[in-house]
Amino acid sequence: MISNVSFAGGAMAPFNRRKDGSSFRDWARAAVQGALDDANLEVSDIDALVVASESDFFTMQLNPAALLADECGLVGVAAKRVEGGGASGHLAVHAGVAEVASGMARRVLVLGVEPSASHLKGTDVGALYGLSFDAWTDGMTGIDSTSLYALSAQAFMARTGATVADFARIAVRNRAHACANANAHLPLDISLDEVTASPVVASPYRRLDCSPLSDGAAAIILARTSDLPARPQGRARFRAAVSAVDTVRLGERSDPGFFAGKQRAAQRAYAAAGVTAADIGMAEVYDSYSGAQLQSLEALGLANGQTIAAEREDVFSAQGAVPVNLSGGLLGQGAPVGATGVAQVLSAALQLEGRYFGQQVANAPRFALVDTHGGIATLNAVSILEAP
Amino acid sequence: MKHQLKLDYTIPFGGLQPYFDALHDGKALASACNSCGSVAFPARTQCGNCRSSDMKWVRLNGTARVLFRTDASAGSFALVKFDGADTSSTVALDNPENDAMFGTIVAPKDGAPGLWLTLVDTENEEHDGR
Repeated sequence: MISNVSFAGGAMAPFNRRKDGSSFRDWARAAVQGALDDANLEVSDIDALVVASESDFFTMQLNPAALLADECGLVGVAAKRVEGGGASGHLAVHAGVAEVASGMARRVLVLGVEPSASHLKGTDVGALYGLSFDAWTDGMTGIDSTSLYALSAQAFMARTGATVADFARIAVRNRAHACANANAHLPLDISLDEVTASPVVASPYRRLDCSPLSDGAAAIILARTSDLPARPQGRARFRAAVSAVDTVRLGERSDPGFFAGKQRAAQRAYAAAGVTAADIGMAEVYDSYSGAQLQSLEALGLANGQTIAAEREDVFSAQGAVPVNLSGGLLGQGAPVGATGVAQVLSAALQLEGRYFGQQVANAPRFALVDTHGGIATLNAVSILEAP
Repeated sequence: MKHQLKLDYTIPFGGLQPYFDALHDGKALASACNSCGSVAFPARTQCGNCRSSDMKWVRLNGTARVLFRTDASAGSFALVKFDGADTSSTVALDNPENDAMFGTIVAPKDGAPGLWLTLVDTENEEHDGR
């Protein structure tokens, strides 16, 4: 169990498609300054930086940790960059947690940033994402991310009886949650019919089942609980930070519709935190696609094996027993890859502290779960945070 | 600013070179584990079942059964089970206008070392149903 790592503060630069001429360096600086202000700290209080950025092809910047330390005035700090596909941001948080827990650092700034929307054409980003799996086998067939997710979703639907209507409900709900989030890319008031009538991208997925490519940045500061600033008080604490992999090739999984690596990460996280899935009162879950949210919820075990029924009974809605993705998730808040997981942790921590900037959970729970993955739930990161 | 980056990779396939050589010729070369007998296609250099590195090459007849397929703007793709293999494979479909559930491996036509399947209307008699 992690016992001495706290969330000191955090902030994000809005997730969207930038059209104002600003750069990822600008967004990074804004997120970092916001996090410092939120934590009531100065740059001189930070002794380590962990940067998450999925690909140099997006930023056109190798060695981004050194560059961003320089840009943000973090003179002389320890710095590194963490990458794990879609899980990059969350894995960077885990690296920061490890540095604080081990005593290697007192206060760590975790910065996720990605210009996923504005630097390259969508087709070029899609071609790069196609190399997120086994680039020699899956990648060389020309298969894209959406098609691989679609094949996994079909296997999930065949086994569980989940339907496109279930997926559409998630697409609608997460966009509705995003309407209260000023930092969200797609705050949309849409209907189920609009989702099921949107153009097919890769059957069964339609355009509104897919998360967007976003620009943006998010930053959080982690500190030993004893090294939190005198003000403000009442910060969330980390109880578990666990990751686990599944086979990279979808075809080598005994059930290509089941996120076994995610289940493994979650079970280890529950054990590490000394809790059970039933103790989790809210979650930020990786919804790169609407169906992937349902697959993730199944693997996380948040509905005692009755995921589809729970979805249909609104267990995961804002009014339900386990509200999921009140931020809007990737579908609504957006997905600048390196920043995604950092923003998920930020949302969960602020919810637990009762000061979330979007739709606040009705009854702040004691424990929140954050789930992120790269590939088709190939590299899975799970954190459990506890309220102050 | 506008900037274009053109990259020209030369990537050795190492221990998987025989698999890709066969693929280039439209043939299915799988890896078989000498320890547990598991047959992987696409091939592996280490057994995905028991982690043994004691592997050998086995030729499959190249026929496959479609498990799931998706039709996308980027093309049509499927998760298929090649006869004689214990693992499944993601393939690009060569003739997506056909909705058959069986197919045969075909040499890639785009120059990339991808795995392509031509769908055929009737099940091959040699299909083993695994």
